[in-house]
Amino acid sequence: MTLLFGRKTCDRLIGRCVRRLNLFSTPSPSNWTKVVSDAEKIVGYPTSFMSLRCLLSDELSNVALHVRKLVDTRHPLINTARGFVFDNKNNLQMRGLVVLLISKAAGPSLAADAPLEQDMVSGIYPSQRNLAEITELIHSAFLVHRGIVNLKDWTTSDGPLNDMQFGNKMAVLSGDFLLANACTGLAQLNNTKVVELISSAIGDLVQGIYYENNRTGEEINITDDVPIGSWQDHTFLSHGALLAKSCQAAMELAHHEMRSQTLAFQYGKHLSLGHKLNSDVQAFVKENTCDRTSFNFNSAPVILHQQFVGREQWICEINKARSRHHDAGYSELWRIVKSGKGVDSAIDLCHYHGNKALEAIKCFPPSEARSALENIATAVTNL
Amino acid sequence: MAVPVRQCGLCRAGNHGVTLLTALCAQFSRLAGSAAVSPRWPSLSATAQSLSTCQVISRKTQMTPDSLFFRKPYFYYRSLLTTPNACCYNKVHDEKQKPDPFKLAQKDLKDLYEDIKKELFVSKAELKCLCDYYFDGKGKALRPMIVVLMARACNFHSNKTRELLPGQRSIAMISEMIHTASLVHDDVIDGSSTRRGKTTVNEIWGERKAILAGDFILSVASMALARIGNNSVVSVLSQVIEDLVRGEFMQLGSKENENERFKHYLEKTFKKTASLIANSCKAVSILVNSDPEIHEIAFQYGRNVGIAFQLVDDMLDFTSSANQLGKPSAADLRLGLATGPVLFACQQFPELHAMIMRRFSSAGDVERAWQYVMQSDGVQQTSYLAQHYCQEAIRQISQLCPSPERDALVQLTETILTRNK
Repeated sequence: MTLLFGRKTCDRLIGRCVRRLNLFSTPSPSNWTKVVSDAEKIVGYPTSFMSLRCLLSDELSNVALHVRKLVDTRHPLINTARGFVFDNKNNLQMRGLVVLLISKAAGPSLAADAPLEQDMVSGIYPSQRNLAEITELIHSAFLVHRGIVNLKDWTTSDGPLNDMQFGNKMAVLSGDFLLANACTGLAQLNNTKVVELISSAIGDLVQGIYYENNRTGEEINITDDVPIGSWQDHTFLSHGALLAKSCQAAMELAHHEMRSQTLAFQYGKHLSLGHKLNSDVQAFVKENTCDRTSFNFNSAPVILHQQFVGREQWICEINKARSRHHDAGYSELWRIVKSGKGVDSAIDLCHYHGNKALEAIKCFPPSEARSALENIATAVTNL
Repeated sequence: MAVPVRQCGLCRAGNHGVTLLTALCAQFSRLAGSAAVSPRWPSLSATAQSLSTCQVISRKTQMTPDSLFFRKPYFYYRSLLTTPNACCYNKVHDEKQKPDPFKLAQKDLKDLYEDIKKELFVSKAELKCLCDYYFDGKGKALRPMIVVLMARACNFHSNKTRELLPGQRSIAMISEMIHTASLVHDDVIDGSSTRRGKTTVNEIWGERKAILAGDFILSVASMALARIGNNSVVSVLSQVIEDLVRGEFMQLGSKENENERFKHYLEKTFKKTASLIANSCKAVSILVNSDPEIHEIAFQYGRNVGIAFQLVDDMLDFTSSANQLGKPSAADLRLGLATGPVLFACQQFPELHAMIMRRFSSAGDVERAWQYVMQSDGVQQTSYLAQHYCQEAIRQISQLCPSPERDALVQLTETILTRNK
């Protein structure tokens, strides 16, 4: 993995043009790539450099050295590390980019005690740039920590237990390292309101992950018994709170009034929910056989389907499917959800959140940055 | 009242143990001088020279003549223990007049755990359960105790009122929360299954949930910290979180060079244990006094007490039986860690060097290393080193005006040295 981190650095130093961001794993990545690369130009900052300082530290190169031994194992840390390099579905740095864009869209503050306008670079205060970096650090830390393996669930057929123990140790340490850097970074912002807000987002992330079902797509599971309203609350915690609160904090750092803070929060919240819905729906609109056999039983279309047909009937279908051959059972359930109303209402919900995000961002004065944020919100509803 | 080991260590304090220690102290005070130590920190030799009772031993020890440690004149460390400030041995009779740190802090700490549980409010029942698990009131609450005593001592020094400020009380809670969060993570890293006589969180709920619960406790501590509303305090305590992680990283590596190794060990000890105490003490002083000298006194007291506390802990890992400390003896060796007693023993038994480097991983290493340590002066010397740090802590805190809390902090150093679990 030194190799991995090393490669990451090289990739970024040498050819950013070759870098292909497949941000929200939509069917039209070219569209996304354009939206994002346009946006990166606006903030005048290569967002991919954001947590480089941290990734190049002695501590993490040390971890990288150790983790190399794990390359042939099945510890999730390996995949997370790969994700840091290839920018695949982990949407690396997307949160930081949105924070920078919304900072620029809000512009300099008129408040008397605001930071000096002359310190701005490309229309963004240095503290807001640091915040964007912190947001990414926290996001990365949780990608690492949520991939920790429960050793008791590990059977010897999965590989040596020692490897998993070691992988866990590395995951705990590197996640903690990223979080600790986020903490000291937060302290340097010299704004206790922002420290409180972002700390609460960390707590939200943990709560959200606790609500999530940790079971993988390898077996057919029972869908959680939650109405779509609670599903949205939980999804906000796990997928939206960090971005929403970071956007709000970016306003606070520039001493923007409460109204801008609320709008920024709303934008971040609805964008994240729209994005999650988009990716949940993908499994049911793409004509890809592999999705038919590995969709998530707690994704929005399934939760909505359960709500439409009633929990009892849905459980009944699941049990029927379980008695069949694995792939055949999966395909059958996929067909049932696809033919029901769940997918369409998930798409509607996705549009709802995309529009809410648009509504919020349109209250900011027109600018290049605002247009970029509008494009991002529109792209989220692109299905 | 003193631990037998320590007493006999004192009686037997021969040239070897003493000189090693003295040289070491000089060594690390030089090393540490660059980082966290104030300019007032004296090298031990200077301190010793100022004492009329000190005796100079001019010959080199026979055990490890090549060691880099033996380049200075040597002093009987015992001399330090009989200075007027030394609290440890001669005051057994006036036990009743001594301030009891635990009693003095009790009023402030009465509802500590209840208040922490209120802070950790969360609707998801399972997460709540994990978070509350260690806040059962059965911990020693050493950190909050030091914090409130330091707060009151600083308040009296600054304003002649001992009343605790709300922010200071919050820092007491935060220090315990950061400590607990780090315990939860450490137990996963070390694969421990028991802590304080309880089954660990990772053993019951699995590693993944344990780590996330630790993160959650940290986030709540960080929110409480922010609500105090003081940027310097936030900075000082955020540094602790970084130190804890860096200390954990340091524990992964071992140094080939023996001098490097001791420096590494002390630096790791500061980061993993003392930083939290030192910076919490500093934080409460910041809230009442703007004088950086007072902040430094508070920091240095916490730093020295913290390192002494850990040294004693490392010593007890060898001397305490399994059930007393709540974890099996020689646990550090089993984890591959070479702590103070081993590093000292390595001076006498160079055979340990290879074992340290392979982190006691070969069959029989742990048992052999344990035997070597028990045959050596390693445990006593670690104890002397801890005493030395306590002396320095006392010297620092004595710069504050006398108050019951200040005296309790002096008294606490003895409690730390004599604890047996």
